[in-house]
Amino acid sequence: MAAQFGTPDPQATRRDPIYQPDSVAKILVIPALIGCAVALTIGLYGKLHHATGIAVNIAGFSSPGSVKAWLATVAAVLALVQVGSALVMYGKVPRVTAPSWIGGLHKWSGRIAFIACVPAAVHCVYALGFADYSTRVLIHSVLGCLFFGAFTVKMLVLPKRGVPGWVLPVLGAIVFAALILIWFTSAYWFFSTFGIKR
Amino acid sequence: MKLRSPIITLLTGAALAVALWIASMTAATSATTGYGASATQTPTAAPTVPASTSPASSPSPAAATSSPAPSETTSGGFVIPDHANYVGPVQAGGGAIAISLHDNVAIAYYCNGAAIEEWMKGVPKHGRLTLTGKNGAHAEVNYALGHARGQVHVDGFSYTFSVIAVHKPSGLYQSIAVVRGATVKAGWIVLADGREVGSIELDPNATAPKAQKAPPLNLTTLQANDGGVTITATPIDAETGSGF
Repeated sequence: MAAQFGTPDPQATRRDPIYQPDSVAKILVIPALIGCAVALTIGLYGKLHHATGIAVNIAGFSSPGSVKAWLATVAAVLALVQVGSALVMYGKVPRVTAPSWIGGLHKWSGRIAFIACVPAAVHCVYALGFADYSTRVLIHSVLGCLFFGAFTVKMLVLPKRGVPGWVLPVLGAIVFAALILIWFTSAYWFFSTFGIKR
Repeated sequence: MKLRSPIITLLTGAALAVALWIASMTAATSATTGYGASATQTPTAAPTVPASTSPASSPSPAAATSSPAPSETTSGGFVIPDHANYVGPVQAGGGAIAISLHDNVAIAYYCNGAAIEEWMKGVPKHGRLTLTGKNGAHAEVNYALGHARGQVHVDGFSYTFSVIAVHKPSGLYQSIAVVRGATVKAGWIVLADGREVGSIELDPNATAPKAQKAPPLNLTTLQANDGGVTITATPIDAETGSGF
């Protein structure tokens, strides 16, 4: 976990006498470029590929829309867990000291949230494409691309040493804000239009 | 170098995305490869059509036999009619679709009997048809004598359908009327079993018209009672050209 908090790993420093922390720009530029490439790839594929309207469906739900709405809701709830556990880890919650399992909770809630987003996103990109016919779908399309780009950057930055302390909270905040807005422009809209249904 | 767990997370997500993407391509291909090897020219409801609309269980006179139109053409071994009306429910979502084509004009209406509905227009071309409507609504259709299938995309959702050709009184009906000083535009899809699915747009000229459930249409008088005002419907019938 130490690397996540931006402090150079003392073990590594001791093992490697010529270990020098990279400059901040050098650490961040490659993950940022890869994140941009991910976001652009999703957006351009969604825009250029002819939306088929069809994708694999998940049994037990009335329509692809409801599957996606529930997956997005699972991800949004876990995103709240993410913010809560991050605040505890950073000691931002008064009178709460981080329990030993908080890192595991943060990691696993994040992993599950990410995996829950993937099928919904594949359906969006493959079956519906990048669309702009209303403000809601435009915001959703743009943020959908941004989310996976920002998430990629965060995952690539996490194992790096010498990352300044502000980087992970900022990346986490971008990922969280994008996900919540994505949820509002999709699942919230779906449930308020069609009713809360399976 | 040992892989770090965040990288494993990313790779897992990417692998899942690729797997679903490949599965989706397979699903989309099998749903859109036209009429396949079952080179039948008699109208057959695909197995995906609910039994209520299949010809065998339909008690109504609107049986799904389409008499050959005088100037039909053939394409890939299929008889392509110049005039045809297709209606049926879409898979999942509870809506229905009606497609009427008359020579070089096609009109389609998707409707769920409530707020989600869309009128679309397109040009039929040798058994293939692409229709477009407001707000990005569109449909891609393959059609032949007796049967049409494809996808319709309305309000960000996509529905697959496989529907049959019908004759009056099944089909599509439209009414544009002035009710209490405002123009309303209603559409009704009458399914092969006689069931009606209809919605009414309260401000059809808006860029995103709001719709609600339409009042029931009397198929004998072609009239409906919209809150005390009688509105009259016109059939959109490919065989007579009415409504085109």
